[in-house]
Amino acid sequence: MNRSKGLAILHYWVAFATFLVAVLLGAWQMLMRSPLPAPLDDSATYYASVTLHGTAMAYVVTTFFTMGFGYAVAATSLGRAIRGMTAAWIGFGICLVGTLMAVGAILSGHASVLYTFYPPLLASGWYYGGAFLLIAGSMIWVVLMILNMRDWKRDNPGKPVPLPMFAITATAMLWAWAASGVLLELAAILLPRAFGWSDLIDAGLARTLFSVTLHAIVYFWLMPAYIAFYTLVPQAAGGRLYSDTMGRLTFIMFLIFSLPVGMHHLFMDPEHGSGFKFLQSALTFLVALPTLLTVFSICASLEIAGRVRGGRGLFGWIQALPWKEPMVLAVGLSLVMLGLGGFGGLINMSYAMNSMIHNTSWVTAHFHLIFGGAVVIMYFAIAYDMWPRITGTPLRSKALARTQLWLWFFGMLITTIPWHIAGLMGQPRRVAAFDYTDPLMSRMGPLVIISVIGGVILLSSAILLIVILVRSHFGERTAGEPMRYALAVNPPVRVPPALNGFGLWNAIVLVLMVLAYGYPIGQFFFLKPHSVPAVAETTLTDSGGRP
Amino acid sequence: MVREQGPFKLSHPWSGIAWGTVAVVFIVSFLLGFIVLGRFQVNGPKLGTWAAICRAIGLSADRDPANEPQPPLQTPTRIAWTQATLARIASGSEQHGEFVALNCTACHGDQGVSSSTLIPALAGMNSAVIYKQLDDYRSGKRLWGVMSAIASALSEQDSADVAVYFARRPDGLPPIAAEGAPEGGRSLRQRDPTIRLVFAGDPERGIPPCAACHGPGAQKLGAPALRGQHVAYLERQLAAFAQGMRQNDINQQMRVISHELKADEMHAVAVYYGVADGHE
Repeated sequence: MNRSKGLAILHYWVAFATFLVAVLLGAWQMLMRSPLPAPLDDSATYYASVTLHGTAMAYVVTTFFTMGFGYAVAATSLGRAIRGMTAAWIGFGICLVGTLMAVGAILSGHASVLYTFYPPLLASGWYYGGAFLLIAGSMIWVVLMILNMRDWKRDNPGKPVPLPMFAITATAMLWAWAASGVLLELAAILLPRAFGWSDLIDAGLARTLFSVTLHAIVYFWLMPAYIAFYTLVPQAAGGRLYSDTMGRLTFIMFLIFSLPVGMHHLFMDPEHGSGFKFLQSALTFLVALPTLLTVFSICASLEIAGRVRGGRGLFGWIQALPWKEPMVLAVGLSLVMLGLGGFGGLINMSYAMNSMIHNTSWVTAHFHLIFGGAVVIMYFAIAYDMWPRITGTPLRSKALARTQLWLWFFGMLITTIPWHIAGLMGQPRRVAAFDYTDPLMSRMGPLVIISVIGGVILLSSAILLIVILVRSHFGERTAGEPMRYALAVNPPVRVPPALNGFGLWNAIVLVLMVLAYGYPIGQFFFLKPHSVPAVAETTLTDSGGRP
Repeated sequence: MVREQGPFKLSHPWSGIAWGTVAVVFIVSFLLGFIVLGRFQVNGPKLGTWAAICRAIGLSADRDPANEPQPPLQTPTRIAWTQATLARIASGSEQHGEFVALNCTACHGDQGVSSSTLIPALAGMNSAVIYKQLDDYRSGKRLWGVMSAIASALSEQDSADVAVYFARRPDGLPPIAAEGAPEGGRSLRQRDPTIRLVFAGDPERGIPPCAACHGPGAQKLGAPALRGQHVAYLERQLAAFAQGMRQNDINQQMRVISHELKADEMHAVAVYYGVADGHE
């Protein structure tokens, strides 16, 4: 048990340390692209920084956090030590080596291709290799989650798998499916080109493979937040989970509907016909179902807690909730950001409306609001909840933690709302510097400056987070409370086998993936073999940053 | 255990409901994306089912230009100033032309100078101009009273002959070469607005000088000499070009220029070039 805790906390520390650096880079990037003067005002540095920020946030922070969360959940929810600790440490080592390789390559200036790789842009093989190791290393975690759930089921025949374990296993399977795209892209296209084994890059195939990853990875990031919604929030609020079955259905639906939908990131790509784009766009809308189900369940659970605490009337229960608990405050703030960002997402995923905002700042603002806002604020709350239980030292000050959450909330809104508007006005994303004397751009100048202010608030919040965690880590040790998960109103005694395992659901995912991606990927081998020369990073910098 | 029952046993309620729901969602999305969208979201006529599916999988995805209805092709004239055209006109027989001209004298006068101010004087007009106008009347590119019927009765050779005949009649329009541009006329500082318009044009409105094509001092192939033409006829032609009633100027230049001219300017220019009543 204690060894599992050490494993989890080390993963958390890697995640949050990386997070602080990445937030600092993000704040500088906001300043760099604004009309205000910025230190290190250089486009090449900007693109290297964006690559590092994206790689850190999308791969490093999330993967390490979710792996740590998974180990903690497996150990505490199953009530026994994790099996396969050696493999877990090996996985941690591989991921860390991969991270260092990728970061080193980016810092050397030979990997400014952004975390989505953008072939035929070509980065250093160290970067691709590092990303591959990081993602492939996390597959060890995937296998361990699945094995631990299977072993527990074998040892407890007929008993329902605890919801947290069921959910984290769904997360692991989702990540395995999602990562298959990017791992294939790296292993079959980008790494061979970087090593010089091939001359050309099939950019269309590479982008299509990445789209398999590109949307599901977002749900991989999201899942710890949802697991906290279902299993930690009702407990922290002093109530019970409204429905265990709804929780299981939610995670099953995420597994199914976050995967065959990635082509909504390729609406503007010419390689694909409108049919598959529409099909995947339509399937994307179904992702709203588990989200709406969750919002309903969580509100119901909170209402139960509020009424248990003496809340009366139609809305009286809201006031009665323990808002001083960081977890309860975080879920409130998270749902606000999830709502705002979610409606923006409906526009992004709509085949026709997407063309209004494609490749504008709107998209960047959207995923910062959803991931950087709604999800990451739950990561903070999870850390505040788990830290005392793992380290045995209580959080020094809940008030400081609440301040940190509020700062993050307002910082993210101040950053992303003007960013959305600038995107609607046509500001392109992935651009280092704008000419704000241009009449078109000058209207966006004030909006971008407001975003910078939001960025500074976010940075202060991130620093505060680390201060709180460090203070807690080195504080006075007391008898730690054990980790407790929310009980359902009707705790599951027997659940249908379909809600206690993933055989059926993985079969459905497989069929859907073949139907949704079989032709779009297969066409590159039979109908549209078309490779192009790679654009190496050196050719970019030689011509002053312009290809 | 699901594994014991197997994920594909549809008799089991969970398997049946799950597979059924997913199948319905997929089929509806497929039909919408591959049949309905592929069929109707195109410019131009609706596609057939097979073509729609091909388009939906990206096999014929909008590679052709948009198939929108186009206006029928319109050319201002059939005449192009090729060597063959000029050779045909040059080969015209004045003698035979005199015979053909018997069709014309009722309106255009014995010697090609009409008494009506709305009917142009032909004597001394460039033969290429007459030949082109006859062909335009014949092909319906220019319309005026009986001219289409008369021109239709003429062969191309007849047209060339009669063009040469009228071009050589004396006492009509004076030849352009005989008359030079007036001293200081080609200046935008010219005080008389009409002379300024004729010799310098109006660059602000994109109007080139009339004299650059119609003389005096210069002539372009296909442009009739205007000096001595009937005022009423000239003014009417400018108005017809301006309103799009007459459209047989090869490069659309007269339609563009006339559109820019005000009514009093049209009159002033016609008066400058022409003779008000009867011919000298």
